[in-house]
Amino acid sequence: MFYAGLALNGLAVGCVAALAAVGLLATYRVTGVFNIAFGAVAVFCAYVMWQCVRVWGMPVGVAGLLVLGVVAPGIGLLLERAVYRPLRSGASGLLVATLGVLVLQLGLVFLLWGGRSYVDAPSLLPAGDVRLGTLHLPYATIVELCVVVVVAGGLTVLLRATRVGLMVRAVVDDRDLAAAVRVPADRLAAGGWAFGSFLAGLAGVLWAPIYHLDPYSLTLTVLETMGVAVLARLASLPVAVGAALVIGVGQTELTAVHPAVRWQGLVDAFHTNLFVLVLFVALMVLPRLGIRDSGALGGLHRVGARRSRADVVGRLPLGALSLVLGLPLFFDPGDLRAALAVPALAVVFVSLVVATGYAGQISLGQAGYAGLGALFMAKLAEGGVPWLVALFLGPVLVVPVGWLTGYPAIHRRGLYLALTTFATAAVVGRFVFAQPVFVGGLAVMRPPGFVDDHWFYGLELGCLGLALVVVWTLHTGPLGRALVALRDSEAAAVSAGIDVRRVKVFVFACAAGLAGLGGALTASAAQAFNPTDFDPVQGLVWFAAVAVWGVDSAVGAVVGAAALVAVDVGTVVGVSGLLIGAGAVLLGRFPGGIAGVVRRVGDWFAVSPVRGERRLSPAGREVADRVRERRA
Amino acid sequence: MLTLDALRVRHGPLEALHGVSLTIVPGVSLLLGRNGAGKSTLLRAVAGYLRPSSGRIVWQGSDISRASIGQRAAAGVMLIPDEGGVFRSLSVRENLELFADGGVEPAFEAFPDLRALSRRRAALLSGGEQQMLALSRALIAPWRLLLVDELSHGLAPYLATRLYAVLAELAAAHPDRAVVLAEPHPHEAFAHAGEVQHVHVLRRGELAASGSSSEFDAITL
Repeated sequence: MFYAGLALNGLAVGCVAALAAVGLLATYRVTGVFNIAFGAVAVFCAYVMWQCVRVWGMPVGVAGLLVLGVVAPGIGLLLERAVYRPLRSGASGLLVATLGVLVLQLGLVFLLWGGRSYVDAPSLLPAGDVRLGTLHLPYATIVELCVVVVVAGGLTVLLRATRVGLMVRAVVDDRDLAAAVRVPADRLAAGGWAFGSFLAGLAGVLWAPIYHLDPYSLTLTVLETMGVAVLARLASLPVAVGAALVIGVGQTELTAVHPAVRWQGLVDAFHTNLFVLVLFVALMVLPRLGIRDSGALGGLHRVGARRSRADVVGRLPLGALSLVLGLPLFFDPGDLRAALAVPALAVVFVSLVVATGYAGQISLGQAGYAGLGALFMAKLAEGGVPWLVALFLGPVLVVPVGWLTGYPAIHRRGLYLALTTFATAAVVGRFVFAQPVFVGGLAVMRPPGFVDDHWFYGLELGCLGLALVVVWTLHTGPLGRALVALRDSEAAAVSAGIDVRRVKVFVFACAAGLAGLGGALTASAAQAFNPTDFDPVQGLVWFAAVAVWGVDSAVGAVVGAAALVAVDVGTVVGVSGLLIGAGAVLLGRFPGGIAGVVRRVGDWFAVSPVRGERRLSPAGREVADRVRERRA
Repeated sequence: MLTLDALRVRHGPLEALHGVSLTIVPGVSLLLGRNGAGKSTLLRAVAGYLRPSSGRIVWQGSDISRASIGQRAAAGVMLIPDEGGVFRSLSVRENLELFADGGVEPAFEAFPDLRALSRRRAALLSGGEQQMLALSRALIAPWRLLLVDELSHGLAPYLATRLYAVLAELAAAHPDRAVVLAEPHPHEAFAHAGEVQHVHVLRRGELAASGSSSEFDAITL
């Protein structure tokens, strides 16, 4: 069955998706960065547009000119100057930096507009339509199609056939060498970012009237069009445009499919979430992207050796931490209620430390595992399992899920792995957490005996302690060394006899189980299953937060969770996003995050009068003595 | 022409050059030193890829220690690195067009092999072909100070000989310009590099010796 009228509607959806995908690809082509923050820039511009028209009463045309001509390119220039140019010398840490920009801009949206969603986003495009026999083709669709074709075509011609295009490609390839052959690299890079940001703004302004203007869901919608870009393997603009149009049409055609009633929900889920599905399937099927991935992890980990013996300074943070975590037991009831979120979030953060900090596997999908942990727990309890057993059995059931989703990770790394894990969380979020079939009428209660906030907080601390013990076991001994070897160099790990496949899958399974436990605790603390707690975009925020606090520090993760909750409770919404985003953006300047800085300061204090003496083994001390003799 | 004054360069916590002072004059100079002696660091600092932590780099009378790569290139400083001297995602011809100040013909005349490969992406070239392409930059773009980092790095001996021959010819044609060759192996360097006027030896980030080539004996170095 094919309905022409529906196909035209689908064309409208496909056009805007194509525009976002073309923008994403164009940004990648002219800057060399796959910009995850694209969605956030789009949303920010859409909100500014709304503010201009609905609050300040500007004419739509003027506002559009202001947003697309000044605000969007301005954001691009600002980001290039403040974030990406300082990073390029290392050419690493880009993934975390783009993630930081995303979190930062979302935080800004929450701060300025309180995260409220609006349905009256102004439309730049003319209303009305063209009649084609019995069919109506809206003007908006025609304009959008033209914009897509002009941008895609113009960009192809510019890059392939002009001297400027050649220079742009040279700057993307190797900025230093381009500067050395007297190409104005800085100006071209700035121009590239301004252009990419303009396209993001354009996508946001055109999307907003079609969907709700809502920070999370609109960001997610734009991020989901990454599937189209991935299908085009980040290289082919025509493939991206074609795929977007086909998916858009397919999406609306599905609304006409009416199977048996019990399957209707599933079909509905498909037709509203076809882009997520495409993103997921494309990432699973395509062996690799046409993209350079080197150094995506840069800046996350601190450089240099670990102190071999624990000393007073090394134990200080742990002591202080247990003291701080014990404090809420003496808080007044309201504050204790708020503090309940801390250990739960800390367990999720610790799971990220295992996956990303120790084993170097970027995982943006922890929100999905956390939600599944909570869901499994509630379902088990519904089936008659006691709550206390369900609290632990639910997360255990997440382990196989982590095991399964860990398989694609075997051959993926860097950005590709990050996208795959994100897509997993997005699919789970859209097809499970958003479906009333699975989460409707779900009751969540605390285990009997732990209903009181004090007792439940104690239980949470126990779980956190358990998680930390698991993490500590993973970080020491042969397994810990294998994980770190995997993080440093996969090729070297293989040649050293480490079964990389098994270790990777194992790490993902462990991290999934821990995240599940954290999710189960979160839901128990709130005594409700709240899908927004496990939003895929939330997973991005969590990742950025853990990165800022030091991705390879479990203590840092716990402190980070406490700080995040404290900031969220103590200030207005959005401040935490701003802080985390700013930290992630600056992470390139202080590798290892806050924990790394603390450790360096600790090292500085721990050095004995004879420089470096305490860090040497007996054999090393002997060598040092000999060197000193020879010098004397 | 080029004077380094107590140049210190750091790579993060490690200092690679501990205050090197030397002068480069027109003609061919050799910069000798083992792996890790600081040859590449010195060349990269002069070309602007690395920022010195202290000390001065004076080029033709003006201090360029803080100048950007582009400014130094405009002043005539050119670095041919041991790897990464080409745009890997661009074709050979596109590379040459970016390098060139005028036509690209001189490059094809010196390296006829490149003509047949002109549509191929640089990433798909062999190491020797990439090095030819990188060295072509010195043939078709203007320079007054040419810094060449381990031209023979990982190349078959006959290829290395050819590249050195092109370089020696280029240096001989412009006696008023300076060429600095960084080499780990003194014997090969003396055998290949033609008329060497000056030799500087780096050891562990410090200048160990400096003088005219007649003062050095390749056998005892």
